[in-house]
Amino acid sequence: MKPEVMVQDLSYRYDDGEEKALDGVSFEVYPGEFLGVVGPNKAGKSTLCQALVGLVPHFFHGNMDGRVVAGGIDTRETTVDELSKTVGLVFQNPFTQVTGAKLTVYEEIAFGLENIGLPRDEITRRVDEMIALFGLEHVRHHNPFELSGGQMQRMAIASIMALRPRIVALDEPTSQLDPQGSAEVFQAVAALRNQGLTVIMAEQKVEKIARYADRVLLMHKGKVAACDRPEVVFSRDNLLDLGIRPPAYTSVARELDLRRPDGTLPVTLDDAVALLRNSSVNS
Amino acid sequence: MRTISLYVEKESFIHGLDPVTKLWLTASLLIIPFIVGNIESTLVCLGINLALLSVARVIRRIFSILAMSLVLIITLFIIQGMFYGGNRTEAFALGSLVFYREGLRYATLLTLRFFNIISASMVLILTTRPSDLIESLVRRGLSPRIGYVLASVLQIIPMMISNTSTIMDAQRSRGMETEGRLVTRMKAYLPLMAPLVMSSLVATQERAMALEVRAFGARNPKTFLHEEIISRHALPIRVLTSLGLVAAVIWRVIL
Amino acid sequence: MRVRVENVRFHYRLGEPVLKGVTLDFEGEATAIIGQNGAGKSTLVRLINGLLKPVSGEVRVGDWNTGDFSVARLARRVGLVFQNPNDQVFKSVVRDEVMFGPKNLGMSGDTALASSREALADVGLEGAMDANPYDLSLAERKLVSIASVVAMNTDVVIFDEPTIAQDYAGVQRIGTLIEKLKARGKLIIAITHDMDFVAEIFPRAVVLRRGEVIIDGSTREVFSRPDLLRDSFVEPPHATQLGQALGLSETVLSVDEAVKGIKGHRSRLGGLAGSDTAHDQQFFQ
Repeated sequence: MKPEVMVQDLSYRYDDGEEKALDGVSFEVYPGEFLGVVGPNKAGKSTLCQALVGLVPHFFHGNMDGRVVAGGIDTRETTVDELSKTVGLVFQNPFTQVTGAKLTVYEEIAFGLENIGLPRDEITRRVDEMIALFGLEHVRHHNPFELSGGQMQRMAIASIMALRPRIVALDEPTSQLDPQGSAEVFQAVAALRNQGLTVIMAEQKVEKIARYADRVLLMHKGKVAACDRPEVVFSRDNLLDLGIRPPAYTSVARELDLRRPDGTLPVTLDDAVALLRNSSVNS
Repeated sequence: MRTISLYVEKESFIHGLDPVTKLWLTASLLIIPFIVGNIESTLVCLGINLALLSVARVIRRIFSILAMSLVLIITLFIIQGMFYGGNRTEAFALGSLVFYREGLRYATLLTLRFFNIISASMVLILTTRPSDLIESLVRRGLSPRIGYVLASVLQIIPMMISNTSTIMDAQRSRGMETEGRLVTRMKAYLPLMAPLVMSSLVATQERAMALEVRAFGARNPKTFLHEEIISRHALPIRVLTSLGLVAAVIWRVIL
Repeated sequence: MRVRVENVRFHYRLGEPVLKGVTLDFEGEATAIIGQNGAGKSTLVRLINGLLKPVSGEVRVGDWNTGDFSVARLARRVGLVFQNPNDQVFKSVVRDEVMFGPKNLGMSGDTALASSREALADVGLEGAMDANPYDLSLAERKLVSIASVVAMNTDVVIFDEPTIAQDYAGVQRIGTLIEKLKARGKLIIAITHDMDFVAEIFPRAVVLRRGEVIIDGSTREVFSRPDLLRDSFVEPPHATQLGQALGLSETVLSVDEAVKGIKGHRSRLGGLAGSDTAHDQQFFQ
């Protein structure tokens, strides 16, 4: 299969940075795949997200080597607005993603579509579709700043999705939300999956990543420390040295030496419970 | 959500006019009295403005603004009535204070002009959403970036202001005195302003990125979500106001 | 120091009660305040440090009734770390930022510096004394804001979402810091959404919902009521969820407890039922 995203030997240094934010990063993501990106703060997760949508190198004036090809487009050879139709990015802070210039949720979601100059009837069709998909019907006429954090972040996702990208990156979209908001956003992310999109999501909550991701990219100090199935990545025994903890289920299984048939440890609740039940039957 | 706006939502013929026609109307009614220069023209324009405000059912709002300026106006009458350079004819005297006709007439002209400026501006301001006005101007060639800045400032400034109370709370919680002498309160000012400015700078960069990934930098012609509705009264109004302006200029040049 | 909240009612706007008669007694043990946004958590802690005064009822910090003292005065006893460090941080050098509170409380320059240095070391930022806080990341700025309150050395320390934006190392550091404050006899109260953190650090948890206390008890008791927590969109810690899914009789709060619980469960089954797998399966379901 042809990869949807190809990152090849990508290095980047912000112009005010002392160290490289990204250092020789290479990986591929396949169509429809969900790639979780984990790693401690400053590991390069945000920079990587910015590189996928062309903000690196077009918005920041740093030093970029290597290349990023998203949906067949080399990000260096196009513009951020051109790329927005292929790859979208949802940021961490729900507030600063609100344009501030629009008075309703409806208008806010339409903002990007106005910018790319779509015909008016196409805009209204897509905005209505997004409002339904992300459960924003009851707030469609509300001022964007009046929404709860979870609603605001769903609106941000809807605004990006309205541009119909094939790939969506999300940079820790739940880190500033309460449990309800965070649950709402994860539901919205599940909706993206069901739409067949390629999703790349940076996230600190390892249990969530273990549950949603097909593969996990583990970053450390700007480099790729691992890129594999969640069971493989989270079964590594040096995770704490790399600045992340394994899912709690994995830690329990390690202590009990409870392994899946392929030798890896379980990473989700369901998987751990199933293994424990089997093992108790066999013991 | 508060935005910086005096817009009053009502249904009226004036509300239904497009912002640019209203801008044209306001500007003309504001300028004509200055071109013609006499009290009569000012009275006529003021009358038209007040009529427009009452048609828009927002005239009450203007009374409070005019009432607030009462002190200013009384001072104007006293000063001009007594000390206007062209004072010749005595009008009346209160004890030893003599008021002159010329001065009082000049004060009347100034007052009417002031009323006219206020009411003309209010025709536009009270009946037009700022965002609609900005959008109309962008349609007519104002840079979308400038339009964006104007529109977002109207919403983001009130949000920054509402954030100041949280910042103030954070500093008081660290033992900062904010009550009492003026010096104490002045000293409390920096701990308030610095986080306000710094966090808006941080927010500005993040917001700029968020705009870029929603194709704000696209160079193709933008679509406007809402169709611009130009009411059938717009053309006659623009023609009439233009004629008014031309007439005023002719009057000025010939007479 | 003891903090007593007695039958406190509070509203910002008449007819929209935020706290509807809350009574809580804090003494000794560290307490986590849990609940959805809008449940009244931030209002509660602002009542304790005197930023807000109760509409009715009273709040006592030691022998002080908060109604009788200014916020600046109460700051000698209660420190509050705000959720968003950007609302708090204003100096251009980290050292000055952290010394601001201690100096306001009247500490001498030397004492304030020593206290600030220690607090910064506790959050792992001893090397950032001369940095500009706005050159640091958001997570680091949060650590600076924590240090700047801890340096005030108050008897009561309140945290609003201490672990927000932190990675694993940051969470560990804050956990260690809170343990240290506990050992020094400080009264700790924290609002948090991070349940793994609650289970690890806090022996007591209070759940607020729509201005009322719905559970107040040991963290173990609170997490053994997933039914009550669900309404607040609170998921128990992951280890607890595993224990509950397996039907362990005791509520477990950590990975270690889960491991012990499962081992105990197995041996008990082994002893009781031998190889009676039917029984065994029933037990684990």
